[in-house]
Amino acid sequence: MRTTECESIILGATDYGEADRLVTFFCHEHGKLRGVARGAKRSRQRFGGALEPFARLHLQVSLKEGLVRIQGADILTVFPGIRTDLGRIGCAGYACELVDRLLPEGGANPRLFRLLAAFLEFLDHSPYAESARRFFEINLLNILGYRPALEHCAGCGAGLAGLERLGFSATAGGILCRNCGTGSMPVTAATVTLLHRCLSTGRFGAVDFPPSALAEAGKLLDASIAIHLSRPLNSLVFLCELKEQAPGGSIQND
Amino acid sequence: MLHFSASLTKLLGELKKLPGVGEKTALRLAFHLLKSPANVHALAESLVEVGSRVRFCSTCFGITEADPCHICTGDRDSALICVVEEPQDMLAIERSHSFKGRYHVLHGALSPLSGITPGQLKIRELMERLERGGCNEVILATNFTVEGEATALYLARLIKPLGIRITRLAHGIPLGSDLEYVDLATVQRAMEGRSEV
Ligand SMILES: [Zn+2]
Ligand SMILES: [Zn+2]
Repeated sequence: MRTTECESIILGATDYGEADRLVTFFCHEHGKLRGVARGAKRSRQRFGGALEPFARLHLQVSLKEGLVRIQGADILTVFPGIRTDLGRIGCAGYACELVDRLLPEGGANPRLFRLLAAFLEFLDHSPYAESARRFFEINLLNILGYRPALEHCAGCGAGLAGLERLGFSATAGGILCRNCGTGSMPVTAATVTLLHRCLSTGRFGAVDFPPSALAEAGKLLDASIAIHLSRPLNSLVFLCELKEQAPGGSIQND
Repeated sequence: MLHFSASLTKLLGELKKLPGVGEKTALRLAFHLLKSPANVHALAESLVEVGSRVRFCSTCFGITEADPCHICTGDRDSALICVVEEPQDMLAIERSHSFKGRYHVLHGALSPLSGITPGQLKIRELMERLERGGCNEVILATNFTVEGEATALYLARLIKPLGIRITRLAHGIPLGSDLEYVDLATVQRAMEGRSEV
């Protein structure tokens, strides 16, 4: 048995039996792992309040016969700013669930780790903004190799430069020219340009979508993500319901 | 495995459904019961009683035999309602003898990751209770987990328009503990929630 120290982000945790917790975490070095923390509900000494969604921490982990055991945890941050705002909690939960569902187990993915860490850091200090969520999504799809084609028509391969009215189809794999895109979801060139910019700046909050582009990008990204999921994300159901039930229709806290 | 007694096998099966009870513990419990038939009857009786008599109070959703419960009907301060996640939390506060108001049990907490939404909790019932009037402070005593915090934030936003005072249990350094041994998350929150002395 060997014990290693993993810099990780908790993607999800559920109580397991009476005293244990079953934890899914994203380790910078080892990728996504699932492990058991024995006695985590009772031993506040060893785990504190660490094994909670989206906490960033050092985990002491041992691998024995393919079973991951979490021996201890040292918190780097629980993102106290996120925890003061319902919209930000929902969004951080969404980001973690999305990574959990789209990233296969095992295998390091330091780029995706940095993206998730940066998004949580951003949410910790700024109010929830839809633009930031879309920025996260397009970069996540890009890193995982699921990014829809943006430069060339996904149907015929023709360049899209200079074309104003475009279409989009998640099943076709991206943006479509006018010929190939008849009957598909309409997308403007401005939205495509903004998505491009999200991929090239690498900084949250740098790209601001105007409302119409935000709606288009949202539809496009939701569809691109949905084709890789077998069932809808719990956190998305949660976010939608909050939006509907919230007074004033906003999920932001004042 | 235990082919010699069908009813013993059945009992073991039932015992193993309890939290924290595995094969070994189930066997130990079963053989202990077999040794004292009087205890078996008393236990069986109380199990049947619990099953048939204990229910949830239709006002606060705590555990009770009489509906409404003795806390909802007694001479406790009805202007003060403490909101908790589970009946066990209500018991924990009662044990402390630090609260003289009434309760409301949500039976869970909002969870973005498990998809537990407001409709699955006793939130509508809480709002109806508050809208009927008579309450001037709601104490949010949900857990200090992501789920508990989300629930408290959601309720605060829902209750605020009613003009009722909303408070949250203080969170911080456990009594009797050395600061150097307290986990970072707790210190972080305690620093944020510091109060005037
Ligand atoms: Zn084409
Ligand atoms: Zn009651």
